[in-house]
Amino acid sequence: MANGTILAGFLAPHPPHLVYGENPDRNEPRSTGGWELLRWAYEKCREKIKAWKPDVILVHSPHWMTIVGHHFLRVPHLKGLSVDPIFPHIFRYNYEMNVDVELADACYEEARQTGLVAKKMTNPNFRVDYGTIVSLHMLNPDWDIPILGISANNSPYFYSTEIGQEQMVKLGQATVRAIAKTGRRAVLAASNTLSHLHYDREPELIEDMNKEVIFNNSQYQWDMRVLELMRKGNTEQLMTILPEFMEKTAAEVKSGGLTWMLSAMGFPHIPAQVHGYWTVIGTGNAVVEWDLTQGTV
Amino acid sequence: MPNGTIQRAYLVPGLPHLTANVPVESWETLRRGCRQAGDHVKAAKPDVIVVYSTQWISVLGHSFQTNPNPKGLHVDENWYEYGDLPFDLRVDAALGTRAAAIASSLGLATKTVNYHGFPLDTGTLVALRFLNPDNTIPVAVVSCNIYAGQEDSLTLGRAMRQAIEESDKRAVVVACTGLSGRFFTEEVDPRTDRFAHAEDDTWNRRILDLIAQGKNAAVLTLSAEYAQAAATDMGFKAFAWLMGTLGTPTTPGTVLAYGPVWGTGAAVVEYSVKRHA
Repeated sequence: MANGTILAGFLAPHPPHLVYGENPDRNEPRSTGGWELLRWAYEKCREKIKAWKPDVILVHSPHWMTIVGHHFLRVPHLKGLSVDPIFPHIFRYNYEMNVDVELADACYEEARQTGLVAKKMTNPNFRVDYGTIVSLHMLNPDWDIPILGISANNSPYFYSTEIGQEQMVKLGQATVRAIAKTGRRAVLAASNTLSHLHYDREPELIEDMNKEVIFNNSQYQWDMRVLELMRKGNTEQLMTILPEFMEKTAAEVKSGGLTWMLSAMGFPHIPAQVHGYWTVIGTGNAVVEWDLTQGTV
Repeated sequence: MPNGTIQRAYLVPGLPHLTANVPVESWETLRRGCRQAGDHVKAAKPDVIVVYSTQWISVLGHSFQTNPNPKGLHVDENWYEYGDLPFDLRVDAALGTRAAAIASSLGLATKTVNYHGFPLDTGTLVALRFLNPDNTIPVAVVSCNIYAGQEDSLTLGRAMRQAIEESDKRAVVVACTGLSGRFFTEEVDPRTDRFAHAEDDTWNRRILDLIAQGKNAAVLTLSAEYAQAAATDMGFKAFAWLMGTLGTPTTPGTVLAYGPVWGTGAAVVEYSVKRHA
């Protein structure tokens, strides 16, 4: 029987500013840099992923919002131009990715069996959302590892945070079962910022770091509280305060990616490594790693 | 002196179900209403159709499409199985640019958008498929800023009205929006489509009755309560934008069609205003 495993999970925020600041060939706009502390944090993750040679990177993105259930990309090869509808001036990215459709099928089946509504996205003309693309680019700009994109179901917004989080726990459990059954060595990515209140006006020079500050100190304090719990491996306490964090800071983790990932990893007690934290138009962003290859503490 | 006019105004739904070849009674009712609206638009021979769509969401203020010829293929992120929406639009970039400048002068944050590959939204494309099926009429498209309240939405509409007036053009203005916004969150047989909550239907009818009596100001007053009670599409702010373009007239709106789409409320409403903007 196949016996797949999760190698690691990453909190992988997706502001397109990070790609813009890096100036990869795939992105049309050019910058003079910016947001280095987050980009350098991602470089550390890239090195580890390269060394692990995983079979697949799964990413849960809040910018693929679905109404009827949890959706999985299920087209073998997806290619196109992704223009960010919010930040088109800094993100016009030519993407091309291979999708692990066998794992998509397995995740779909496991999700259905656990009682979740699930769907497989099979339209080859589908435009992949920028949250998925940015997180994946920042983790693996070579795009040489198959991926599996998962949508963010709107249940936290239609019903309640509690119901939304319950669904994500189930989705995580379904995901890890699918990984085990398909024998994949997998890396998970929760494509989320932390605090999410932001400015609605940009500086003339988008990458003017003199203008880049947290929206307010309360958001910063909350981000640090959450990151400290991650660093200590205090996952129970982290899960306890997440709903309040979501409410107080409009945290993007409300869309479920972090809870999905932690659930899939069995709510690990290992200390997470915070590779970097900085703001993007006032939101709090951290690149955080849970390395399951190191064993539990 | 420039003397642009708004010939007609519409509220229309923008969910992709209406373009799907699925025989559902309420969807067919709405399709008929949309086609009727399209016939009336064609007869009015406007120079431009201006669309505000709740499905074009913006965060950094209000966006205006100014690419003269957006082309591409759109697939809805939820109902991708209902087919692709190819588009090849003729955009009145000058009108969008001017409306953005006026809105900015009125204190709103604005952006013009002119990028190859920019993703058009499902609502805009569904509305135009019915209202401009031959793609013969230039369009202008305005985003829905998720943070805008009613006052800003009215102001945004006023800015567009002024831009139309200055342009000396004959315009049709369209608010592409749903009514009550509670979707079914599970797979349902479309043939059993109905309102997710009976109270939503009651609220929608109350609002449409007021519109049919020309009590548009009363609808604006009730909008916040309506939004709270029926989880309206983007707070029903598209209606405020429409009233901004029209100056909140006492003109009655004609309800051409009304029904549920996947649990939500949808209506086709027509205002035969023909007023100077």
